[in-house]
Amino acid sequence: MKQKKKISPGKAIRRDWQLWIMIFPAVLYIAIFCYGPMYGLQLAFRDYDFSKGITGGNWAGFKYFMQYFQSPMFLPTIKNTFVIAFFSLICGFPVPIILAIAINSIKGQKWKRSVQTAVYLPYFISTVVMVAILQILLSPSTGILSHALRAVGIVGEKANLLGDPSAFVPVYVISGIWQSAGWNSIIFIAALAAVDGQLYDASKVDGANRWQQVWHVELPAILPTIIILLIMNMGGILSVGFEKTFLMQNALNKSVSEVISTYVYNVGLKSSQFSFGSAVGLFNTIVNFIFLVIANQVSKRSADISLM
Amino acid sequence: MKNRKRILALLLSCAMITLSFIGCGNKKGDASESSNGENTGSESSSEAVDASGGSGEKVKLTALFVKHSLTKDLNEMQWLADLEEECNVEVEWQQISADWDQKKSAMFASGEIPDLLFGATADSDYVQYNGLFEDLKPLIDEYAPNVKDMFNEVPATEVMATTLEGKIFGIPSYKGVWPMTVGTTFINKEWLDAVNMDVPTTWDELEAVLRAFREQDANGNGDPNDEIPMDFNGGFEGGFSAMHLLSGTGMQISADQDGYFLQDGKVQNYYIDERFKRVMKFVQRLWSQGLINEEAVTQDYSKYQSLARGEGSTGKVGFTWGWESGDRFGNELQGQYISVPPIKETADTDACYAYDFYGQNYVANRVAMSAKCQNKEAAMRFVNGFYDKEVSMQVLFGGMNDVDQCIKDNGDGTYEVLPPADPDLDPGTWKWTSSFADNGAFYIRDGLALALGTDMQRVTEEKSAYDSCLTAVDPEKDVFPKLFMKHSQEDTNALAMNQANIDNIVDQTWAAWMTDSSRDIDAEWDAYVESVKSAGLTQNLEIYQKAYDVYQNSVN
Amino acid sequence: MFNRKKFLRNWPDLSFRIVVTVITVSAFLFVLYPIYFVVIASFSDSTLVNQGQVILYPKGVSLYGYSQIFKKPEIWVGYKNTIIYSFFGTIFNLTVTLPAAYVLSRKDFAARGIVMKLFVITMYFNGGMIPTYMLIKDVGLLDSPLVMIIFGAVNVYNLIITRTFFETSIPDELYEAAALDGCSHFRYFSTVVLPLSKAVIAVIMLYYLVGHWNDFFSALLYLNSDKYQPLQIVLRNILLLNQAMAGTTGASAGAGAGAYAQQFADQIKFGVIIVSTVPVLCVYPFIQKYFEKGVMIGAVKG
Repeated sequence: MKQKKKISPGKAIRRDWQLWIMIFPAVLYIAIFCYGPMYGLQLAFRDYDFSKGITGGNWAGFKYFMQYFQSPMFLPTIKNTFVIAFFSLICGFPVPIILAIAINSIKGQKWKRSVQTAVYLPYFISTVVMVAILQILLSPSTGILSHALRAVGIVGEKANLLGDPSAFVPVYVISGIWQSAGWNSIIFIAALAAVDGQLYDASKVDGANRWQQVWHVELPAILPTIIILLIMNMGGILSVGFEKTFLMQNALNKSVSEVISTYVYNVGLKSSQFSFGSAVGLFNTIVNFIFLVIANQVSKRSADISLM
Repeated sequence: MKNRKRILALLLSCAMITLSFIGCGNKKGDASESSNGENTGSESSSEAVDASGGSGEKVKLTALFVKHSLTKDLNEMQWLADLEEECNVEVEWQQISADWDQKKSAMFASGEIPDLLFGATADSDYVQYNGLFEDLKPLIDEYAPNVKDMFNEVPATEVMATTLEGKIFGIPSYKGVWPMTVGTTFINKEWLDAVNMDVPTTWDELEAVLRAFREQDANGNGDPNDEIPMDFNGGFEGGFSAMHLLSGTGMQISADQDGYFLQDGKVQNYYIDERFKRVMKFVQRLWSQGLINEEAVTQDYSKYQSLARGEGSTGKVGFTWGWESGDRFGNELQGQYISVPPIKETADTDACYAYDFYGQNYVANRVAMSAKCQNKEAAMRFVNGFYDKEVSMQVLFGGMNDVDQCIKDNGDGTYEVLPPADPDLDPGTWKWTSSFADNGAFYIRDGLALALGTDMQRVTEEKSAYDSCLTAVDPEKDVFPKLFMKHSQEDTNALAMNQANIDNIVDQTWAAWMTDSSRDIDAEWDAYVESVKSAGLTQNLEIYQKAYDVYQNSVN
Repeated sequence: MFNRKKFLRNWPDLSFRIVVTVITVSAFLFVLYPIYFVVIASFSDSTLVNQGQVILYPKGVSLYGYSQIFKKPEIWVGYKNTIIYSFFGTIFNLTVTLPAAYVLSRKDFAARGIVMKLFVITMYFNGGMIPTYMLIKDVGLLDSPLVMIIFGAVNVYNLIITRTFFETSIPDELYEAAALDGCSHFRYFSTVVLPLSKAVIAVIMLYYLVGHWNDFFSALLYLNSDKYQPLQIVLRNILLLNQAMAGTTGASAGAGAGAYAQQFADQIKFGVIIVSTVPVLCVYPFIQKYFEKGVMIGAVKG
């Protein structure tokens, strides 16, 4: 039933000319501003030469890729990046969904609006201030959060949450959730608002309780959004924000906090060469893209929902 | 504020038109300010006026300045307006105070840059963007007598400016009035008196003093546990770091050189030196007794500074490093602390102290010129103006006129840096606000009779504890001249890559050794040294040695 | 007597209500304290803040930070520019994105697969900063305020979210019915799809708006003139962000620089957040009302 009868391309264009007009501005924009500069990708394979431009330098092949692959920091940075991104994803992804369902179920309008507004506020706190707050609250000697966690026994008496390598990923992930869960829940709240009220009524007639309504009405309604966002997040499995990692890094936690982006920064800082950074960036992108494509295929097969 | 100035300028320029002066059609109305310029028009800068060929159209220039975030709008600096007027140029300034590095690569690669770039370039840029910048060497010879004076009187500045190919793309600045070391070692004298001990001179004495600080109620507030005996920032690198303990072993080092130092003409790195091992064992012992701030590794600079400012008149920190006591401890506590000579490993070691004269007084690449600049002569003359004797002072400290009120001309060849006109600001902040400050292009002549502000006087006084150590230093033989050394692009890339790998091992290792007393430093040492070497230190030492030898030949 | 049967019947709904209350109350508190902390820290002596002494109420109250921020005339120019960029930029974003999302939601659109793939690729692969800068220069947008409005017209992420919403929330039957009445795509899109999609339009609008509001990178790269600088650049210039990052400008200008600036920056660090965020927060309540349940039903019936 999916198959409709085929029509010739010419006919399709004549039939769909209005659709073509509607998509034209977006296509034009993407063509000019995204594909226009795409020739810059070859920088990763060339020695940059200013007088000859981006495309004029000598062909270097995989020299800059090999520089990274053979560096002693290759495996550690890949591992650290992956661990941070992985835990950010599996811990951070479900929270906005739960939050959205909870907020959507609040009966009192005033309370609902207050919660909704409050949880999205942290998104506006810049990374620098975010890390400064962490420094103040988690300080082992004066931080109140540090003292509170010790009092309830979650961390040891001597623990330094800012330095202990085993604390870095949890602190990174939890502070990330704190900052973005509310913001990310907005899209789910909007999707829930679009659920047809008749579906609730129908399930009530069937004798469903609230839990069952969540399971049978609300989750299916937002499932496509969940899957699409999950696929896109899978495409970020080798991306960790530079600024936050950089600011949270210190000598004690460096074994887990040196990620691809901070390493490239440290190398680039002293040499101002483009090609190495471009090569590492391209490698990073390709890995991300492969994960995206796999996730997309899996979802296409199992749920018939896909990005492209 | 801006508006008022504009109206004033408009009125004055109207008045000028009626008097049929030359400054008509002058958009900015800068001509009006010449009335204030009287006291700056000294003989030494008159050559700039002569050279520009008197009246005529003003030359329009574009310039970019990478300024400090405290620095005010350049268009509000009277001394700068005067200088532009004198050089007969009209400069359109682009001012950047954050994230220049990111903007830089895009702007440079596009090939379109302003005529002059102040504090915006680095040695590696001249290689990377070959052809974008003008070789200033011929221009300096022809149009910049002040810069030539600097090169002749302080030859190291010319070495610093000259590339491997013998070209000059960026002109440095020189001041010579800044101290020879960044970090001063401070101890709380009141605490010493309270625990009834003398100023420590050796590691053992220091340990005893720190233990007394911890065990007793040294600050006398009734709580014997709130004293932090020792604190530092930045690990073992930088002026406020524990690297100063290395000086106690008789090693001659400098701040911010990634651990490289010079011994008997050989480039070495202290992170793999036996003496570093002894320092590590010492700090491990101190840490295990709770004598070092438990946050020394993890706190940021804000916390480091705030902690030492204590609570009211109660000090919190006993022994630490800082730039100057007022900045480090705040006005309330500053009197409690004294600067102390280097703490020696044992009573019979010859102590040294970190030598930072180069880093403090020479800054490379203060100004560069675009190869596409339309009027190179005028641009060079304008640059030359910055290096004038009196203008240089103003570049560093702020204007010597009734508007800026930063420097006073005593009229007898001596000058004085005035206290801040804004009473809320300290002298340091005032300097960074009113002028290009240390980021600027200038040449402060040695022997210039300029009385510095109270902050710098205190700096000099406190750092006099190290005079005997530092005057004994032979900069030729004992100091690793990282700032003056030039590398090929290939070497620069190798150095950067290796250093990132080295830092990664070194940072993790010292932090773990210091904070974990179960680690056996003696047993782990050899394996650690091997791993650092193979991460690239061996290659970096070779590259630096090669560059140092070239440098030596160029000076001699 | 305790009605066991009735309790058991109501227990699932009751437990649901308890769980919802626990989640929302704890999320509220979890989020609120640090926000409160930013507010009180912006009024307090920075030394006391760093020492961890400011916990429940401001200490050493001073308005130094705010006075430093507001005494700069650039800040008002920045506000004005940011409001202009955000307003017109968001309108432009929506006029380009929404029709495109509708087209890509049509399963009968022949080029859907290939266009989608080409769009998704740009989320991951890009030519890099330098070629993009050259392009902006070549099309004459360098140092033009238009760059802040045009650049980033289509965010593929937002486009996909909108498309997904159109696909799943608007029944196909609606189009089939409309098509039978001879309704064109233009008309169907403007009279049926848009009114039914207020919730997602509100979200996308918020995403774009906040994106423009916080955008500092394009301004940093593409704008040179002071008169065009948006608020975020002005604030970033006031505040020396971080010692380590600032030290990279190559000017090892001496120890004094870092020390003095740090004290200054600490004073205004928290105030900057308040100054830059409050205006955009005021927009939220207007957008929020489209998230209420029932918006959809009303639209369908009406």
